[in-house]
Amino acid sequence: MNDQWTNRLSEYLDGELDSTERGALEAHLATCGDCRLTLAELRAVVARAKALEDAQPATDLWSGIAGQIRREHTLERRDRLVRRRFSLTVGQLLAASIALVLLSGGGAWLAFKPGDGIATSRPGTLITPVSWTSGTDLAVSDLEDALTRNESRLDTATVRVVRANLAVINRAIAEARAALQGDPGSTYLNLHLANTMRRKVELLRRVNALAAES
Amino acid sequence: MLEDTLTADSIAADSALAASGDASAFERLYRTHVARVHTLVRRMLDADEADDVTQDVFIRAWQKLSTFRGESAFGTWLHRLAVNVVLARRKNVGIERGRFIPDDGPLGNVSSKPVTLELSMDFEEALARLPEGARQVFVLHDVEGYRHDEIARLLGVVPGTSKSQLHHARMALRRHLER
Repeated sequence: MNDQWTNRLSEYLDGELDSTERGALEAHLATCGDCRLTLAELRAVVARAKALEDAQPATDLWSGIAGQIRREHTLERRDRLVRRRFSLTVGQLLAASIALVLLSGGGAWLAFKPGDGIATSRPGTLITPVSWTSGTDLAVSDLEDALTRNESRLDTATVRVVRANLAVINRAIAEARAALQGDPGSTYLNLHLANTMRRKVELLRRVNALAAES
Repeated sequence: MLEDTLTADSIAADSALAASGDASAFERLYRTHVARVHTLVRRMLDADEADDVTQDVFIRAWQKLSTFRGESAFGTWLHRLAVNVVLARRKNVGIERGRFIPDDGPLGNVSSKPVTLELSMDFEEALARLPEGARQVFVLHDVEGYRHDEIARLLGVVPGTSKSQLHHARMALRRHLER
């Protein structure tokens, strides 16, 4: 038996028909024994589904799960060890990045320095030699003193890297100043010196802040 | 009632311990929930996949425990994870099959004609023999209590398709009620 209402019986059972459809289907059920029987069977299927019971797996699956968890735990530990082995402190990373900038800046200066045929300032342009350095020098001096006082709070590896990179910065500053003696109007050299000084101040401030947090 | 509360508390405690890496606590969670997960998986997929997929569900649960915030019961969270793993498996298998057999839609392997099953089967066996799509809709709706709009979203079909497949499944199963 299959009439136009048979395929709507599940929706009726689940309360998903609108009132008009529900009314029409109920009128049909009053006169159709087959649909009443089918509806009763569908209702029993739904009840049976709700009463289904869970069953344990035939074999214990835990050993496979535990083995996989152990493998992942081992891999995770190994990853952590590798990360730790190659990790640097914030101070070390900061100092290393500044050293890299300075080295690349110094390289560019060597490549484009006067006398190599590439002008660093336009002919006839008068650039006033830097006059801010004395104030900055004082600030740097204060920060260096602070670093000397604070460095006992930092781990020795950080102090070693910071000191090494400060030496690189100081050397770059000295070279820039020496070069400016010969070409005081060079825009590039003035900017390079200013940037190097700024980075030195920045490094000293950050390292002191780091030491204060330790 | 008190026993239920104590059980819920111990499950909540074990889920917190497991999230912090305690494998013993996770084993207790496994023991409590494995029957439910395995039965769900067995009904939704082929029986011979049930062990592998159940293990996969628990391994993923272990990996994702840090994302379980205790807003729902651990069992509910695990159950939803299991459904997602099953459906992802179904999708992957469908892609594999699709390399060889043309597919005609998310429930393409489900006939729109009434399903007929041998009368000698019992209810669980008849359920297992239903076409995959109709079986999954039936399990999700009538056994697990999902709504048609949720099933449609999970399976990537329209709710009307879910309703139609549910009706075909029920019609096929009604002859296997008490065997």
